[in-house]
Amino acid sequence: MILLGVVYLAFLAVLWYLNAGALVTIIFIGGFMFLQYFYSDRMVLWSMGAKVVSESEAPELHEMITRLCAIADLPKPKIAIVRTSVPNAFATGRNQKNAVVAVTSGIMQQLNRSELEAVLAHELTHVKNRDAMVLTIASFLSTLTFYLVQYLPFFEGGGSRRDKNSGGSIIIVWLVSIVVYAVSYLLLMALSRYREFAADRGSAVITGQPSNLASALMKISGVMPRIPTEDLRKVEGANAFFIIPAVSKSSIFNLFSTHPSLEARLAALERIERELEA
Amino acid sequence: MGFLDSLLGKTKLPEARTEKLFAISTAAVTLEANVGLKPGGEAAICFKPMESSFYDSARAEIEDLLRISARETGTDYRLQKDDYGYLWIVLKDKDFDDLVTNIQMIAQTLMEHGFGTQLLCAVYRFVGESAVYWIYNFKQGAYYPFVPKGDKQRDNAREFRLKALMEKEMPVEKEVERWYPMWAMPI
Repeated sequence: MILLGVVYLAFLAVLWYLNAGALVTIIFIGGFMFLQYFYSDRMVLWSMGAKVVSESEAPELHEMITRLCAIADLPKPKIAIVRTSVPNAFATGRNQKNAVVAVTSGIMQQLNRSELEAVLAHELTHVKNRDAMVLTIASFLSTLTFYLVQYLPFFEGGGSRRDKNSGGSIIIVWLVSIVVYAVSYLLLMALSRYREFAADRGSAVITGQPSNLASALMKISGVMPRIPTEDLRKVEGANAFFIIPAVSKSSIFNLFSTHPSLEARLAALERIERELEA
Repeated sequence: MGFLDSLLGKTKLPEARTEKLFAISTAAVTLEANVGLKPGGEAAICFKPMESSFYDSARAEIEDLLRISARETGTDYRLQKDDYGYLWIVLKDKDFDDLVTNIQMIAQTLMEHGFGTQLLCAVYRFVGESAVYWIYNFKQGAYYPFVPKGDKQRDNAREFRLKALMEKEMPVEKEVERWYPMWAMPI
């Protein structure tokens, strides 16, 4: 996906250099987004090296997803497997009928049945909420704003009368558009994190057991191994008991990430857990 | 342990914190009502015995107190040493509040004699679908769940769920790194 972004930005730079009109640029951005929207499933699968598997190749996975889809009232998506030991899962596709849910072989090995089910329910909620579409449109809008700022008439250097030699005003325009881009980027990340929370919630509702997703998240992220199995009396002697430093939680990086922190997701799942029990 | 103490190599053990120990008393009501976990009628306190005459007198006093308590509340008790050399005082009583009071009493007595640093943990057993232990860590002043499952395995998902449910009711240890299990407990 990064590669795609680079190509995309390079194209935009060329257009900028050629002094193409606002309309051309917007059409280009729109066209690109359109392509991404329609071929996202194939592009993602191809870039991740995922292989779509048939019912006979992965009967258990198919059965699990079929049942979850029945509960969630979704058409059954295509199912793909990525051969890698890295535990991960993702969903893609422009709409519910063209969705693909992919899991890595690593996640299938590490999680037990109910945990895998919770993860699949999370991905199916992404499909149900049309998150691929929502985020594509949102990023289209953010890129569009980035360009519109440059064509807005209240800068002398902006618009079609742009003169490459009047350095000062161009720099101002650039600075403003960069700020706008930065803000919209942060908003986009916030939106993405919000959709993740929504998908976690969806998984909890579909499976009825938020703790399964919680333990799956803990396993994938390596928290599960953090719960010790060594006896308290053994470690107490070594004083290890009270000198472990508190795990630092940085919040600034959260602004730039597409997924909420594990702590936040677990806390949200705990809240859902309490709601379900109440 | 302060920075200077570490620098000078002075080992100081943190004092025991008992202020949250009583929280299990109200939490037990919630555990039974919301989670279906009943008090298992047993609790224990675990500490490291010391070689000192002061310790012997503390222990004698605790046994005296326990004898009195046994008469008044009908709490059974026994002392047991484990493989790690820790001493367990195991209490048996149908009445959960009596268990809590006695555990508190033992902890208090040890602390008054200056053995607060030797206190390891207090454990309450609950029964539902399976046995669930709430372990009170005296160094952290917080409880954490322990659900053993088979041979030195634990049910992390259930423990996590218990934490989520009980967090509002009682102080639960936030850092899972400190959720040390206690295998082969005498209760």
